Amino acid sequence: MTQGRAGPAGSGPGGSHIPALDVPEDRVDGVAKVTGAARFAADRAMPGMLWARFLASPMPHAAIRSVDAGRARTMPGVRAVLTGEDARDLYFGRRLLDRPVIAWDRVRFVGDRLAAVAAETPEQAEAALATIAVDLEALEPVLDAEASLAAGAPILHEHPERYAFLDGKRPPTGHPNIQGGFTIEGDAADLEAVFAAAPHVFTHTYRTPRQHHGYLEPHATLVWIDDGDLVHVVTTNKAPFRLRAQMAASLGLAAERIVVETGYIGGDFGGKGYSIDEYACYLLARATGRPVKAVTPYAEEIGQVNVRHAAVMRLRTAVDADGRLLAHSADILLDGGAYASAKPLAHLAVAGAADTLAPYRVPHVRIVARTVYTNTVPAGHMRAPGQVQTNFAGESHLDEIARALGQDPLAFRLRNAARPGEVGATGARFREARGAPLLEVVRREMEWGSSLPAGRGRGVALGLHHVGAGRLPLTLLIHHDGRLEITTGLPEQGGGVHTVIRRVMAAAAVPESIVAVRQVATSGTPPDPGVGGSWATHLASRATAALAAGFLAWLDERLPGALPAAPAGATLRDGRVVDAADGSTLAALDTVLARLVPRDAPVELSTVYEGGHREGEDDDFDFAACAVEVEVDRETGAFAIRDALLVVDAGTIINPVAHRGQAEGGFVFGLGGAVMEGLVLDGGVVTNLSLADARLPTPGDVPPLRLVVLPTDVGPGAFGAKAIGEAVNPSVAPAVANAIADAVGARLRELPLSAEDLLRAMHRA
Amino acid sequence: MRPFSYVPAASLEEAVGVLARHGDEAHLLAGGTSFVLLLQQGLVDPGVVVGLSSVPGLNTIERDGAGQLRIGAMATLGRIEGDPLVRDALPCLSEVVGRVATVRIRNQATIGGNLAHADPAQDPPPILLALDAVVEAIGPSGRRTIPLDSFFVDVFETALAPGEILTAVRVAAPSPAIRFATVKFLPRTVDDFATVTVAVRIDPSPDGRVADLRIALGAVAPVPLRAVAAENAIRGHVPDEALLAGAAELARDAVDPFDDVRGSADYKREMTRVWTLRALRRALAPSERVA
Repeated sequence: MTQGRAGPAGSGPGGSHIPALDVPEDRVDGVAKVTGAARFAADRAMPGMLWARFLASPMPHAAIRSVDAGRARTMPGVRAVLTGEDARDLYFGRRLLDRPVIAWDRVRFVGDRLAAVAAETPEQAEAALATIAVDLEALEPVLDAEASLAAGAPILHEHPERYAFLDGKRPPTGHPNIQGGFTIEGDAADLEAVFAAAPHVFTHTYRTPRQHHGYLEPHATLVWIDDGDLVHVVTTNKAPFRLRAQMAASLGLAAERIVVETGYIGGDFGGKGYSIDEYACYLLARATGRPVKAVTPYAEEIGQVNVRHAAVMRLRTAVDADGRLLAHSADILLDGGAYASAKPLAHLAVAGAADTLAPYRVPHVRIVARTVYTNTVPAGHMRAPGQVQTNFAGESHLDEIARALGQDPLAFRLRNAARPGEVGATGARFREARGAPLLEVVRREMEWGSSLPAGRGRGVALGLHHVGAGRLPLTLLIHHDGRLEITTGLPEQGGGVHTVIRRVMAAAAVPESIVAVRQVATSGTPPDPGVGGSWATHLASRATAALAAGFLAWLDERLPGALPAAPAGATLRDGRVVDAADGSTLAALDTVLARLVPRDAPVELSTVYEGGHREGEDDDFDFAACAVEVEVDRETGAFAIRDALLVVDAGTIINPVAHRGQAEGGFVFGLGGAVMEGLVLDGGVVTNLSLADARLPTPGDVPPLRLVVLPTDVGPGAFGAKAIGEAVNPSVAPAVANAIADAVGARLRELPLSAEDLLRAMHRA
Repeated sequence: MRPFSYVPAASLEEAVGVLARHGDEAHLLAGGTSFVLLLQQGLVDPGVVVGLSSVPGLNTIERDGAGQLRIGAMATLGRIEGDPLVRDALPCLSEVVGRVATVRIRNQATIGGNLAHADPAQDPPPILLALDAVVEAIGPSGRRTIPLDSFFVDVFETALAPGEILTAVRVAAPSPAIRFATVKFLPRTVDDFATVTVAVRIDPSPDGRVADLRIALGAVAPVPLRAVAAENAIRGHVPDEALLAGAAELARDAVDPFDDVRGSADYKREMTRVWTLRALRRALAPSERVA
């Protein structure tokens, strides 16, 4: 039997030539979400459920003298109050378990927990918190990353050797206030000699702030312990198996004794890979014998869970007389906050922390990226972690260099963009280097070089994001009634991965109408990595393609038994078994499956896809370019984006509507970071703790936006799919900063770009 | 937030009575767009909340016998924005309330709540100051009117006595010759409180002089305020660019802003100058003449 493709080959939004992928997708989660039927963790309830609330430290750094919860325990409705004494030596984290579940000796940021209360109502829990007497002795706080490494800085973690490290051994850091980091070196031996001999050397420093994801759905969890002593955890976490492992390690439980269940996720943007309430809710459930629920108030979301790392980035680049990049060094200092707990990677930094000049060819490179401890809200993952900071720095830096050399910034980038066969600045070997073709589209679409009225300017930025890889199991159940059911541990976090699974089945001739995708708890499926790191489409599409092939082979083998009269070369088309020669129907698929599958014993096929990158081989990236035209009001510094263009490098697009949504949404997300978002801290206290002060973009802020997709079919996913979710947002801020510089000659080196800073910069210029 | 009892008042008299009975424990609820935020942040902690949406007729917009427009305290900003009487008599007010926050907020927030909340960053006060608006109130000692000019006392503080309820705002419809210009400066996002708001009203005289004027400013001091020295510099004169520039500097010197996420105090002072000058120019420009 051959894999059938119905109808003529067509070219859809991604030029896929696969008809099933060229129609707009019908989302697996669409109806449930638009009708309100979709259930989120905060919607879940259990009989006898208690509500948890937590007392937060009011000080950024203090020794705990005492926490007196005596009165709280007598308050109406209160069933348990736990303090650090009840949770001694319990730490949690995604990789390094360095964050106390409830602090007992020391608090390290405003938000560190001093007590946990479980009561019959959230109001009763809240009222009990107010009665807890806390005696803290203030310690000198470390309030920014540079202060963390200054001589004589307070050491924030005196016993790092007590912290467990999941899956391996923590790399040495060299300084107790360093959480982690990594160094990229390419021909670094000659680096200083090249700098010394270069005709031009440029050094600039850029800064970016802490930023909150701004998802609508707060973190929520419901934890209970059943009669068999199984621990059930309903959560907003997008990587249920990883949370299970983290809870097991933190709480000293066997992973098999924990069942983690994630429902729909109401916005992720990188923030839902980390959970903080589950641990204390387990302790409260254990203490009370009752289910315990917590929903994070939004002020605590902003100030206590995890945020994007603030960064200070010092970039130095040598250029020859023709404007070719000769050497580049960068010192990337990321503010990790009070705990490294929210970071999943072994180096305890963020993956994009070295991506200052990632799409460009630079012969000599040394980039040092470090994350450090401070007495502020812990930093973790947020959409394109690291790239948002380093792309702003790198693309601003290139623009400054081009202008200083009197060269056109676009031509300067084109001169230096890595071409096929060349290696990027971080050592990446691009399977397909697409920087130059994207920049050529920018040149054409923006009418680059044509004159603009006074006060207007154009800016461009180029970026890339790695297409994630990993290992993904997937299971197919073939039912007697003709339904095919795919079970997965992957949550639908909004990106559309469940729809990817159904669409890839359809592309393999299994119609969507008979395919269901069902997410199951960690007890019902083999472990997977969850959703994140721009790997979901790659892994899910390939695993599904393997399952589809397995199903077709299974069917092929059994077809003669089920349809003895069928000719050789029968094929599956539109849910029917047809004669490949003339397309005539031989049988409906459900008729065939009813003969092959027993009524109560579905046939199970499973697969494990493993897709990774091997050292020294080509690797897969999404390139993206953003260009904008801005108009600056010279008297106020206010700037408006009059035109915006996104050019994205796309593999075969599986979900065209979601792809466009991710590209456009990525632009808006990047715009927020460019011009308005950022936590404001005063003495370690976040002062804009509401969405009234921590603004996010609204539709009225979005300029006219054009999207150009440059398709390719060399992606690592099924049919050549790539990723899109994290490709676009980093380039927006540098494009805007560069356009402002083009318009008025003033350079802003700190995000968010503000009218006030620009007015000041213009006065200086 | 602690549990509170909610009293939907059937009449203003009942609401006054409940407030009198519970004193500081009681808080009024109009549209709730600010109150609920304060409640969630623990900045207010009432034991009793008195709802005004159940009071009949409190959202009426009407023209009284003297030709004044009377806007009931519970009229939402969205309703005021689209009301035919307001659009006809006070297009400048319709325009200003139409810029407040988002449509969802405007359809919930009320003009009475907006004024009584006395947040200096709110949009409607400057234009109402420029219109010489008067507010009506009812309290334990009866009804009274308070000129808006003396209504705002400090941040979140008004001339309303304890237990007193703002019931309406009254505005005389300006003659067609009078010109207005309003500004809401939003350098970050369209959905935000202003960095500075300006409302300018010019009453021209036939000889080219400015017979009278108002320059009112918001978000740049503990209270919305009039730039009286700037007004005095222009009143009675034939305006030219130098006169306006000088007045704008006087406006800048009259404000007392604080640093926040919408700008430093210095920036807000300078923006007061820039936008006052621009608003004056706009109000005096022939093309901006109200037909």
